[in-house]
Amino acid sequence: MDTKETCRNELRMAIRHLSDRCLYSASKWAAEQLVGIEKDPAKNTPSHTRFQRGSSSVRRRFRTNEVMSTPSAGVSYVSTPSVTLDEDSDAVDSDVYLLAKSYFDCREYRRAAHVLRDETGRKAVFLRCYTLYLAGEKRKEEEMIELEGPLGKSEAVNRELVSLERELSTLRKSRTIDSFGLYLYGLVLKQKGNENLARAVLVESLDSYPWNWNAWSELQSLCMTVEALNSLNLNNHWMKDFFLASAYHELRMHKESLAKYEYLQGIFSFSNYIQAQIAKAQYNLREFEQVEVIFEELLRNDPYRVEDMDMYSNVLYSKECFSALSYLAHRVFLTDKYRPESCCIIGNYYSLKGQHEKSVMYFRRALKLDKNYLSAWTLMGHEYVEMKNTSAAVDAYRRVVDTNPCDYRAWYGLGQAYEMMGMPFYALHYFKKSVFLQPSDSRLWIAMAQCYEKEELYMLEEAIKCYRRAAGCNDTEAIALHKLAKLHSELGRSEGAAFYYKKDLERMEAEEREGPNMVEALMFLATYCKNQKRYEEAEVYCTRLLDYTGPEKETAKSLLRGIRVEKSGFPSMDIEHFPS
Amino acid sequence: IDVSGGPKLKQYGKHRESCLFANLPNYTLRGADASGGVFLRTDWQIQGYSLEQADVIEKHASSFPLNAFESILKQLQKLAPELHTVHFLRYLNSLYHDNYSAALENLHRYFDYSSGRYEIALLCLGMMHFHFGHPKQALEVLTEAVQVSQQVLFGGRWWVEGDRCFVRDGGGGGAVVRSSSELLNNNTQSDDNCLAYTLTAISNLLSEIGALNATGILRSSYSPFSSIGTSLSVQQQLFILLTRSLKRAESLKLKRLVASNHLAIAKFDLTHVQRPLLSFGPKASMKLRTLPPNVCKELRLCSHLITEFGTESSIMTTEGALSTSWLKNLKKPRGSLVLSQENVSGSDTFYFCAQQSSIPGSVQQLLGSSYLVRATSWEMYGSATLARINALAFATCYADTSSSADLALAYAKLIQHLALSKGYKEAFAGLKIAEEKFLSVSKSRIQLVKLQLLHQRAFHRGHLKLAQRLCDELGTLASLATGVDMELKTEASIRHARTLLAANQFSQAALVAHSLFCMCYKFNLQVENATVLLLFAEIHKRSGNAVLGIPYALASLSFCQSFNLDLLKASATLTLAELWLSLGSSHAKRALYLLHGAFPMIFGHGGLELRARANIAEAKCYLSDPSFSVLEDSEVVLEPLRQASEELEVLESLDFRSQKPSFQLYMLDFCKDL
Repeated sequence: MDTKETCRNELRMAIRHLSDRCLYSASKWAAEQLVGIEKDPAKNTPSHTRFQRGSSSVRRRFRTNEVMSTPSAGVSYVSTPSVTLDEDSDAVDSDVYLLAKSYFDCREYRRAAHVLRDETGRKAVFLRCYTLYLAGEKRKEEEMIELEGPLGKSEAVNRELVSLERELSTLRKSRTIDSFGLYLYGLVLKQKGNENLARAVLVESLDSYPWNWNAWSELQSLCMTVEALNSLNLNNHWMKDFFLASAYHELRMHKESLAKYEYLQGIFSFSNYIQAQIAKAQYNLREFEQVEVIFEELLRNDPYRVEDMDMYSNVLYSKECFSALSYLAHRVFLTDKYRPESCCIIGNYYSLKGQHEKSVMYFRRALKLDKNYLSAWTLMGHEYVEMKNTSAAVDAYRRVVDTNPCDYRAWYGLGQAYEMMGMPFYALHYFKKSVFLQPSDSRLWIAMAQCYEKEELYMLEEAIKCYRRAAGCNDTEAIALHKLAKLHSELGRSEGAAFYYKKDLERMEAEEREGPNMVEALMFLATYCKNQKRYEEAEVYCTRLLDYTGPEKETAKSLLRGIRVEKSGFPSMDIEHFPS
Repeated sequence: IDVSGGPKLKQYGKHRESCLFANLPNYTLRGADASGGVFLRTDWQIQGYSLEQADVIEKHASSFPLNAFESILKQLQKLAPELHTVHFLRYLNSLYHDNYSAALENLHRYFDYSSGRYEIALLCLGMMHFHFGHPKQALEVLTEAVQVSQQVLFGGRWWVEGDRCFVRDGGGGGAVVRSSSELLNNNTQSDDNCLAYTLTAISNLLSEIGALNATGILRSSYSPFSSIGTSLSVQQQLFILLTRSLKRAESLKLKRLVASNHLAIAKFDLTHVQRPLLSFGPKASMKLRTLPPNVCKELRLCSHLITEFGTESSIMTTEGALSTSWLKNLKKPRGSLVLSQENVSGSDTFYFCAQQSSIPGSVQQLLGSSYLVRATSWEMYGSATLARINALAFATCYADTSSSADLALAYAKLIQHLALSKGYKEAFAGLKIAEEKFLSVSKSRIQLVKLQLLHQRAFHRGHLKLAQRLCDELGTLASLATGVDMELKTEASIRHARTLLAANQFSQAALVAHSLFCMCYKFNLQVENATVLLLFAEIHKRSGNAVLGIPYALASLSFCQSFNLDLLKASATLTLAELWLSLGSSHAKRALYLLHGAFPMIFGHGGLELRARANIAEAKCYLSDPSFSVLEDSEVVLEPLRQASEELEVLESLDFRSQKPSFQLYMLDFCKDL
């Protein structure tokens, strides 16, 4: 049985297990991956072909490595744990369980729990605990909204946690707990702040039952450092690759994450999930063109998708694709306007239209729907900046970094805001933070350099250092080299200036760009070479300058004349007076 | 609900802290209630509590329990997540526990949430850098604070030019903000106040870092000094800054700031030699001098505060202005005051605590500082008793309210006074008390006195190698940066030269004195140069070049006269007399005349060593006078000698003790002759 077939069978089984236990989002995830596996052409039913038609073009475009469709030789998976979920075998669920599940589906959690109060089967115990947990969560959310404060008091807690923890830990000790129970136990422990035990319990759960994507996501949120991730002792299962890819992404190891996803795409060629994740990674690597193409395809296959679409809207916003953004916004508005992602997309739409107040309103709504939706805070900060309300912007950005101190964009936003307020020295603190977190982003270095360059500070040496770092990263806008050249010449270091002008010139030639920077570089280099008595070089630069109109042409001419005179070794007067 | 010990402080020190913690469990209990949906506290109550805690932290500084308080802060944050004073308290707490990065983080966090009080943020950041010993950054930030306050105040509005890119979430290079319109129009009284505070902070910073080669820091066109011009020396800039910030504070009726400015000006007047900033016409006096009456006047004006303190326009009510509470007294308080209690007698405690309830601590602290400045000024002008009385007054009356750094300074002064007038035994006993009192905190000041005492004793006992080592140690207490800790550096150099001189290393001593003179000249330390000149005279005297010594002694005398350094002047006169005397017996009468002129000062205010020297010199004068007969008037000679030997005994001076027998032989010779 090949890998694909294994995965398919396992996923089919898992979907049944998960939806039986009302773990619907995990089952949704599994089902998405299931249909993402490429079918045997022989077995294709018409519906399958219809579903898979759209994706093929993306696949052709971005699947660089067909070899990857089989696992590389080095990876050996543990044999899939044979799941002996005795209760899941053909035995029929108890009537009470069926009733409880119906209650659950109607979101009547406490009723469901009550019905199961005397059941002892593992499945029933899990469902009872899970419903209790959800009942507690629901009450917590309600309290949070009821209590005063703009975003709710933070002290509302799930009151079921204590009793659940007690019960689940007893079950675990007596070894009468299944992997789903362990997952719930891990969830409870995480909420109670016992992260180490939560991690161990989740690993335990996943070792026995690896197809519960919910458990993987919880585990991933507990691995905020590379060390924590590496310290996990997990069995080798193909689900682990999904986990690692996602964890790498969160740890901002985008290249590694991308590689994993591309490998997984070999098996799950039509998975929308993987496509969206690849788009996310590309987005962070700032490959916007690719991201756009992927999302276009994604939207064609799955037109009512809202997940991850906020990122697409960001891309469209950055590229100022007004009509596409408008289309997207209207579409999500019709699909489900009260989802944080939808609000965010609509907010972006209004922002691009220049209606910043409306846009702030939608970002606020997004935050009301999900108060941990950090990108809405950041975007709101941007809006406030555009509305010139810098202190509100600072407040918004600060909320982001207080929740996630690694969000370099918000740090950068803070720096920008303070710089705008004429506090460059104060702003430096924030720029330093952002470059520390994302040292490979040239824009951050350039922003910091500009801050140092401000006339209030005028710390040119520091500015040069920053520009040098920016030039070291891929500075797509090519600001750094030009700035370096300029600063060097301003400080009277003509040798350094010549070095950077030359580099800048080479780059402009390679990218076939023209413009005032080109003229400036040629001018400087011509004069510099002449002064250095490197006449041939100077002549080359002067000749190139002759192609331009304007005063530069005249200067170049006179330079050329001067060069010729100096080369001949006679002062010009003599030649005119005594023609040969 | 009274959440803390609060304003009704019955007792001080440990009691106060226990008060705080006694309330803690109570507090958490209420916190638990809160989850039941009943809120027993308003935000205002929590804010009030925070304000009070800020004061407590500032007072107790590093002795304030860091971790225990952190848990209270966590509780507070849970209770009122939208109230950000917690961050400020956390900032203060880490500041006083010298946790730089935590202080920086929390300061930024607090002001990010303060919606638009960014001038104060800068002011605080500047003070923080000052506290951590980064004068350059501090000045940079404070300069920015002045600019921002001025933009808000005088521009009324400000503009942002140019196009700017913002990173969209995920960073397209996208949105371009064309922001050429008004951003802030926040013209309030507090900005004005902030500017006043900032100016005072800058003046304090400048006077603290002294003659630090400030031109590197004060860049011409963007500093608040731009209108002053760059041709003036740092001291002159400082003087102008001081008067300006005084005026600003006066016009804003910020009483505490006015007093603080008066005090700063008094300190400035004390050591800085005045000369006309601009001289008009030929008659303009170019004479250098200090003006003790000015110092006196400033100190008196500072003390006026106590009658007016109640009326300061309060800027403490808004959240952001909380920060100013620790700026009221622009000082760097450090260490614990909790321990200071035991020394003060019971009745005193009661009295001063009763006072405390009606006078704000910051006012008391300011007044206390004025007593210290008084003590310092009398030390300089040469009244040992007045210096001692002021230091004592400070130590008894203001010990609870002042910062421990100030208190340590007062103790140091008292100990030094003991060493000079009562000898080392008593001084070391005093030092022991001080060391116990200050334990580890604020050690540098006490450490300094200890080294000074040890050096002096080793010097007097003739243990010159040890003295040299101690002197080197003393020098290491000073910062390596040029222009910083000048006082300490000068002192170390003087001691070094003296030690070399005692070892008869004349040329080396002269070398040290010379470089010291150059340094003092470079940094405009005129007052110190009077001492250095006297040192030159001493060097020449001991090396047997009396003729060369006399001009130095005379120069020193004239410096002392202009700068009103009376005791130093008496000491210079003594040296001059000794120099004349060593020129031969024909000058004995002149020497005696000079000596008698200086006697009132020397015997009234001089220390043991000076008095002994004067006594010996007097006896020598009589003995070398050919017209003087020992037999007829032996008491005239014997009495000063007896006194000198007593004084030297107390001083444990080996140097002179070895001379004592020689005097007795001397006497015997005379008796035999007869």
